[in-house]
Amino acid sequence: MLIVVDPHSGVPVYRQIVEQVEFQVAAGQAGPGSELPSTRALSRDLGVNPMTVSRAYSMLEAMGVVVRRPGLPLVVSETAAGAADGRLGQLRSLLEPVARAAAQLGLTEEEAVAEFRAVLETQAATAGRGEDSNGSG
Amino acid sequence: MHGVFELSGVVKRFGERVGLDGITLGADGAGILGLVGRNGSGKSTLLRSVAGLYLPDTGSCRTFGRATRDLGPGELQRLGFVDQHARLVDWMRGAQLLRYVSRFYPRWDAALESHLVAALELDLTQRIWRMTPGNRQKLALVTAVCHRPTLLLLDEPLSDLDPLARRAVLELLLERFNSDAMTIVISSHMLRDIEAVVDRLVCMDYGRVTADDDMETLRERYAEWLVTSASGDLPTDWPEDYVLDARGAGHRAVLQVVDGDVAAFSARYGATVEVRPLNLERIFPLLVAPVRPAVSDSTFRDTAGVAEARP
Repeated sequence: MLIVVDPHSGVPVYRQIVEQVEFQVAAGQAGPGSELPSTRALSRDLGVNPMTVSRAYSMLEAMGVVVRRPGLPLVVSETAAGAADGRLGQLRSLLEPVARAAAQLGLTEEEAVAEFRAVLETQAATAGRGEDSNGSG
Repeated sequence: MHGVFELSGVVKRFGERVGLDGITLGADGAGILGLVGRNGSGKSTLLRSVAGLYLPDTGSCRTFGRATRDLGPGELQRLGFVDQHARLVDWMRGAQLLRYVSRFYPRWDAALESHLVAALELDLTQRIWRMTPGNRQKLALVTAVCHRPTLLLLDEPLSDLDPLARRAVLELLLERFNSDAMTIVISSHMLRDIEAVVDRLVCMDYGRVTADDDMETLRERYAEWLVTSASGDLPTDWPEDYVLDARGAGHRAVLQVVDGDVAAFSARYGATVEVRPLNLERIFPLLVAPVRPAVSDSTFRDTAGVAEARP
């Protein structure tokens, strides 16, 4: 699983890690049993404090997204992978700022939804296969 | 009581000038603490006090549980210190200096020394006075870590380094930290460099601690709000004490907030709030002026008294 963060964005780094793992799991890019990098390896690769990585991993474990097994790498849990509510939850958090902007622009619900549908159609047409692989949240 | 170091009500004066003005601060266990503040805010004096190079005029300063005036070989074997601008024995060659320093430490790790020298691309055949400031700084770091200290104090260790060398040094610090759980205290103006690696941040101003918080908590607490109002009656002055700075009025305003309550704010002003995160460079100016600590936040215990005492 590839995890990328921006430590200068001001977004807590543990949250960036949690969100990325959640996204990849929800999108099915990381299936059940997929291994996560070790705390030390991810700390080294990202150049961030290892305690931040452990904090993210503990949170993912508490959320049931990953499973910890003694002495082995963390893996994506059977239950979390590809759950439909996970996918919709991801989409919802991305749509919230869009909804705010639509309200500020004074657009009606119908106008905003029609625009979203048009964007979806354009995406599907350009992507060809319709499955986009952009997983960076 | 803090096991690694503990300052309690420490005052240190240099003639008329106050270096430390009643500092209470401590650290336990492993962690990387970033120390930030303007020039002359007391960062170097604090680090030198923890190392026992300065003794407090009043208050108590303990390192590894021992008063710093009584630090002996037992404690000094566990301490690593890189002074600002790396004062070294100039006439020696790099290799000579390392051999000289290593003799003071029975636990000197020669394999680690070779690894660091290679990773930092140091030429040890050069005389120290001929070295660039960056290479002197790298060499000073090697002299401070090869005895594998449990407390490493770094005063501006990145100031003379180019961006690639800074990255190499930070990678090595993380590598050391991942290998030997230790306490690292690093003072720096390179906020972008340190914001990734520290887990705790202490800000000083006028010899006092103005902020002391978990780095991730700081990212959660401080934010910029882009406020939009349809009615166009946003004020210029905000009564909310969590608003630290503000620009704009009428339809749009930009606020810098700490521990803001978006729901209550939106309801009160009938406004939409877009919350934008702030990185350390943008949080820093807000930390220099002390802020009332969040009551629920226990990490603020060390600064609560100081913050209240400030006008």
